[in-house]
Formats: sequence, C-alpha cells, structure tokens
Amino acid sequence: MDTLLEMFSPEFLLRHAFYASLVIGCVAPLVGVYLILRRLVFLGVALPQISAAGIAFAYLLHTVGVHLYPHQEEEQFMALTGSVLFVGVALITLATLERRGRGLVEGRVGVAYAAAAAASILFVSANPYGESTLLSLLRGEVLGLSLSQFWATIVVYGGIALCMLVLQKEFTFVSFDREMAMTLGKNVAAWDLGLYLLIGLAIAFGVMTVGPLLIFGFLVIPPLAARQITRGMWPFSIAASFIGGASALIGFYLSLRWDLPLGPTDVAVACVILALVAGAKTIRDLLRRA
Amino acid sequence: MNQSTLIRLSEASVGYNGTPVLAGVDLEITRGSFVGVLGANGSGKSTLLKTIVGILPVLKGRLESPVRRPRFGYVPQRDTLDAVYPLTAFEVALMGTYGRLGSLSFVRKEMRERTLEALAEVRAEGLANRLFAELSGGERQRVLIARALAAEPECLVLDEPVAGIDQATVEVIMDLTSSLHERGGLTVLMVNHHILSLRGRAEEIVWISERGLVCGPADLMLSKEKIEEMLLAGGG
Repeated sequence: MDTLLEMFSPEFLLRHAFYASLVIGCVAPLVGVYLILRRLVFLGVALPQISAAGIAFAYLLHTVGVHLYPHQEEEQFMALTGSVLFVGVALITLATLERRGRGLVEGRVGVAYAAAAAASILFVSANPYGESTLLSLLRGEVLGLSLSQFWATIVVYGGIALCMLVLQKEFTFVSFDREMAMTLGKNVAAWDLGLYLLIGLAIAFGVMTVGPLLIFGFLVIPPLAARQITRGMWPFSIAASFIGGASALIGFYLSLRWDLPLGPTDVAVACVILALVAGAKTIRDLLRRA
Repeated sequence: MNQSTLIRLSEASVGYNGTPVLAGVDLEITRGSFVGVLGANGSGKSTLLKTIVGILPVLKGRLESPVRRPRFGYVPQRDTLDAVYPLTAFEVALMGTYGRLGSLSFVRKEMRERTLEALAEVRAEGLANRLFAELSGGERQRVLIARALAAEPECLVLDEPVAGIDQATVEVIMDLTSSLHERGGLTVLMVNHHILSLRGRAEEIVWISERGLVCGPADLMLSKEKIEEMLLAGGG
C-alpha cells in the first residue's frame, strides 16, 4: 500500500514515467481496437519494429555528424523524427499497395517486419557510440523520460484520445461497412488515411516512450480482453482503455515493488487480465448452457 | 429523361479496376417500381448494383438522374460484414442515419428515434440490444433493411438479401420488402437468386445473360417459357 501511495505522491521521483505509461496504457488500446476489428494485428507488430528502425537510423545519423535540431535534446528529437518518418512512409506504402490489391497483405506486412528488424540491428551495430543508450531506448526505458518528452507524450496522446473518441462513429462505420459508407457519401479513403495517421502517430510516439514490446502489448491485448465482455462500440473502447490503464498501473506497481523491468511486467499483467477474462467468460457460458 | 425516372444508365460499361464486367448497358429505373435483377453467378448483377449506388464508378457511358443523385438505402450481402465487430443491432441500424451527419457531429435524438422506428418497421425492435454477430441470418437481414430505411431512402437496393436463408425466412424477408414498396411507394432494386420468390412481388425484371441485359415486365419475364429460355441462354 505504501508503494501505491508513493506512486501517486507529487514528490514521487518517477512520476513522469508513471503518468506517461498510464496515459499510453489508456490511449493505445483506443487505437488498437481498430487493429483488432480490421484484422490488422500483424500491422501492430510490424509498425513498432519499423518505428524502432527509424529511431536507430536517426541515432546513426546523429553519430556520424548529421544534426537537424540546434538544441540540447537534439538526439531525442532526431529519434522522434526518424520514428515518425519511417512509420509514415511504411503506412503510406502499405496502404497504397493494399488499394492496388497486389500480393498478400500478410506477406507484405511480414516482409516489412523482417526488413525493419534486420535494419534496426544493422543500424545499431553500425553505430560505434550510442549503442547502450540506443538499446535502452529500443527496450523502452520509460523511467528515463525527460520533462519535454513527458509533455510531448501527454499532448500527443491526449490529442489521439480526443480524435478516437470524437471520430469513433466514422472510423467504425468505414471499417465495418465501407460500401454502405460510400453510398451515403462518406469519403472512405480520407477516413482510412486519418485512422492510419493516428495509428502511426500513436506507435511512433509510443515506441519512443515505452518501446516496441510494450506499445504492441497495449495496442492488442486490452482490446482482445475487452471484446469478450462487452457489447457495443463505446463499452468496447472504454473497457479496452480501462484494461490498458489498469495493466499500466499494476505493472508499474509490481515493477517498483520487486524491481522488475517495466515493459515486460506491464505486458505480463495485461496477459494475466486477458486470461482471467477469457476464463470467466468460459465459466459464464458453461453455466448458462447448464 | 422524364421526372418519373429515378436513374438511368446509357451505353454504360461497369466493372472493377478498369476491366468491364458488363458493357453497353442501357437501363432505366422508374420511381416507385420494384425491379428484380436475375442472372448467373459472376454475370455482373452485384457489379451493376454497386455502380448504380455509387460504390463503383461507371467505366464508360453515363449514369444520370433527372434532378440530383437519389438517396439510396443499400443492403449489402450479409456475409461481407465481419462478425468480429461487437456492434449491437441498434448500432448497426443507426449507421443508416450517418449520411445526414457532418463530421464531428454527434448523433441526435431524432436520429435514434428514426432508427428505432426503422427497426419497428421490419419487426426487429426486440433485437436492438443484441449483438449483430449473434443474430440468425434472417434477423441480420431485417436489421440491415432497417439500417437502409433509417437512411430515409428514395430507393432500397438489396444485394442477394435471401441468400443462404431457409425458405420460411425467405418468404418473411420478401413479404417485408413488398410491403415497404407497396405502403410507402418505395422504389426497390433487388438482386435475387430465388427466381420464384420475385413472382407476384417484382414489377419489372432485369435478366443478365450471355446475350446482355434483357428487361421486361415481371409477368412476362417470370413465365415458365421465358425462364427456360433465359436459363438456356446462360442467365442462371
């Protein structure tokens, strides 16, 4: 209990890391809901890896003397630029190929994942200096979050949450039945683009803050758990967000209490919640049949 | 084109990705009519429907309306909708009203009321809070028709609404569509594999065969001799 109270104390040393992971835990599932519904879970694996490759590339550029920003935290901002650019280019390329209907979607996403994973390792190994810093960033060391990164995360994720909630009916409509949406005059391509941009932004920023493993966990596991116990889009989204937030809170507590790595602890907690929900649903269904 | 014309295709080519499935199509849909579209699998029935409602562009020729593009209430093939969505029947039906909503607008009370009315019109008000994915084929079809009605359409367009449904439910869906047509004077355009279920309900038939589009009054087009002739001509 003391640990929990300490976490919410204004003097808590890791409060920025705690609140940032809580916000990402609540908001990422709102985006992840559409990865599940559109059956794009593979994309949820590939994009964080592509983002990580972008970060590694930006660090490599920085090490060899390319400087884009003239201030103290240039490294971080270059990494963010790399993350956003790589994710943006990947999303536009994958969406264009999908519209043209060429090849298998899963094949393209699989190749993108493999290429990004290989590129990340090659960029890191080619970087003679910042390897340890970079590796910790790719693992998602949210505990070392700077104040500017914290506020950037709050603003970006706050904006994403607002968009996901206000535009939920449009995103759901064009995802569920794009043909009906077209007959009612909706610009389906523009809504798709908007949704992909939000997904890309959430992943690019999330990977910078909590790493690829945790962002993928938050995108996919809470919506999968929420889908089993809800009916209706609002309850589904809210429950997914709640489960993500609860995973972040419990994970942070366990990590602090027993000195565990934060990212894997959060993902493990989310998996336990998923297993509990699935178990409870199975028992309820069995009881109903009996 | 006179005012009774709802929509007209002239010398039109329809198809996907620039490849025509049907060419030289001349077809006029009259306001207040019930038109059945028949044809073999892959003959282009759904492609024709999707072009009329604006999902696919006309590849060649013209698609015209006398005043403005009519409001369509589109009922897609049931199996094209993914059961992974945890949407209630009410939420699905409510989507029909979204055409009247601008972006960033919230659903208004009257739109919810209109949706409930539409569900009641198809006798599906009791399904409102159930998951769409858990409904039977016939129940889902009624909800999709309610969604199309919630759009307050001038023309109800149904793509294979009774495919994969038992005979008793086929009759229920067909009677329901007929009564919507007769009571409200609603124009109905329906692709249907059940040739006989259109008898006594449709007024005009468009039959797509290897000879192209053959149109005529339902009495004539659904006579035994004509059905045999069209089936022999590759129309089913």
